Amino acid sequence: MAETLLKPEAAIEKEHYFSTSFVLSRVLNSGVIMSIEKNDHELKGLEKVIAKLTNTKYVSLFNSFTGAVHGALWGQDFDYGSTARLDQASEQERKFTKWLGVNLVSDPLAEQAYTLISVDGNNLHLLDQTVRASADLSPVFVLDFTGLGFGPVAAIAANDEQIWKKAERLKIFGAYDLQTMWTQEESAPELQPAIQFNYRLSPLVAACVKISLLRRKKSS
Amino acid sequence: MKTDFIRKPLQLPEEQWIQSQLAVDGGPSIIPEDVRKTNFPIITKEDVIQMFVSIQQDGESVVEEFQEAYRTYVGANYAIATSSGTSSLHLALVGAGIQPGDEVIVPAFTFIATAQAVVAAKAIPIFVDIDPVTYCLDPAKAEQAITRKTKAIMPVHVHGLPADLPALRRVTDKHSLRLIEDASHAHSASINGKLAGSIGDAAGQSLMADKNFPVGGEGGIAFFREKEDHQRALAFLESSGIDYRMSWIAAAFGISQLERLPYYDAIRARNAAYLTSALAETKLFSGPFVPEDYNHSYNMYRIKLSPEQLGLGDLEDYRVKHAVEQLIHAEGVFAREWQNVPIPGHLPFKNKRGFGNGYPFSLSERQDFGYDLNHFPETLKMLRSTLTICRELRSPIEYERIQAYALAFKKIDANPHKIRELVERSGDLKVVYERDARLG
Repeated sequence: MAETLLKPEAAIEKEHYFSTSFVLSRVLNSGVIMSIEKNDHELKGLEKVIAKLTNTKYVSLFNSFTGAVHGALWGQDFDYGSTARLDQASEQERKFTKWLGVNLVSDPLAEQAYTLISVDGNNLHLLDQTVRASADLSPVFVLDFTGLGFGPVAAIAANDEQIWKKAERLKIFGAYDLQTMWTQEESAPELQPAIQFNYRLSPLVAACVKISLLRRKKSS
Repeated sequence: MKTDFIRKPLQLPEEQWIQSQLAVDGGPSIIPEDVRKTNFPIITKEDVIQMFVSIQQDGESVVEEFQEAYRTYVGANYAIATSSGTSSLHLALVGAGIQPGDEVIVPAFTFIATAQAVVAAKAIPIFVDIDPVTYCLDPAKAEQAITRKTKAIMPVHVHGLPADLPALRRVTDKHSLRLIEDASHAHSASINGKLAGSIGDAAGQSLMADKNFPVGGEGGIAFFREKEDHQRALAFLESSGIDYRMSWIAAAFGISQLERLPYYDAIRARNAAYLTSALAETKLFSGPFVPEDYNHSYNMYRIKLSPEQLGLGDLEDYRVKHAVEQLIHAEGVFAREWQNVPIPGHLPFKNKRGFGNGYPFSLSERQDFGYDLNHFPETLKMLRSTLTICRELRSPIEYERIQAYALAFKKIDANPHKIRELVERSGDLKVVYERDARLG
């Protein structure tokens, strides 16, 4: 089986079985998975938690790490044929950016495309410190929560509204698609969609990540 | 705790309700406001218990258990569970060997993901009009659209009715093309007993919350007939680095829901048959056509309006549709538009920016991509004169509810003068496809 289909090593620890089971059973019975347009409280709730954690104004959720990388790059107009600086890119990042047609460079004058924070059960308690330490390194955080064990899940966080808007436009069922679904009026005609992927995160997974973040033990 | 339990029962419907004053004029709604809610999907103790079991297992094994169970149910040779229907279509295309710059023929009437998956595979979607009766891709027009760059035809089993795969297979065999199914609406749908997803060379299928077979929130699955295609899709995941994995939480929900899928299918088929039979008693409305030996899964139920049958043939069809929409909503039935603009008219295909700088459209030698809406007259006609019921047939709804839906349509059919009155008041209403494109 391909490497990209494998689950991460970090899994839910036994002492968390009950609380996670409880969250899932509550969410399963709350109707949040019924509708794509409504009842998305878990998604909005997770966005708020991440915004507070990162002290940023705008958060966009993704159903995979590579989706969030795509959102971070697209949000800053790093698209096909462009170049971006990404120091110490992993093999997966190198493969994915190559597939997107974005060339990685190590130009010291260029700003780092994004700051990656990978979160798992072992470093969750250090998350606040990690965020504080890397707050000014780039315009966008890419937060990969896949290591928490609920499945692929990631987010981008930024203070620049345009980055968020463009990242949302990248997503089928992103904020702008959902608005048009009801109003049949483009709410942001200046922001033209191009390729779109369904990077929409399952509210069930969002609920689990939100609980993990809210209940994290903080290390000073 | 929120509950799925429906606390208030519906009244038993009575035929004389048809003669009562229209709800839009202040009469009683066929379905009163406080009993309009339908629950879908139904969560049972099996779902919750399965979650408790899965949480203690390795996540990868949960996804594999689901993948194998559903692959066996569909009768496909190989499968890859994915994060969404769009990603499953992307994998089906690359698995079938679609290369950058290839052309893939898709219907103009579908969800945008069908065509965006083609662009994700760095190929060029070539849109073709639909059959006016089934609303699926027209095989004859598909054949006319083939060029030396065409690599595949990807029909959509729209709303759950399988496309004419036997005819399309004859076309693909004749021209050495691949046949890829978009089976996103067609869980358990079949032709001569063979399930959608197992008939083409490859297939993609959405398993999101709004589908007949929902996993927990978002998900999809790609199917392959040939080992080589399955291997090519896996190799693509490896080389591109893309993470298209399904969450084990979604898979766990799918394991328990799959057990009940045949029951839900049977209820939906019963409801659809009841409604189709009731609509046949009206002049204005008619239900979907289903060819012999085809099994429609009714993820959505599209109702055709024939204003001329009710003495309203002098009115513009889209205005009649709009009037009926107002009347039926007031009676408590949410029949609405699902899609209003053919997909080639959506902004991503007007713009052709793709991955940026026009890629992969820039790989094409075409000057005209054939995306002008006038190329799709049957799709335009269908969008002007049909309404769709989306969720109302989907859950195991009460028998009295489907009876009430039928009565609501009969009540409107009995009031042509009111339709005329609303049409005459509809002012500067735009034709559906001249408004901004809605996603669903």
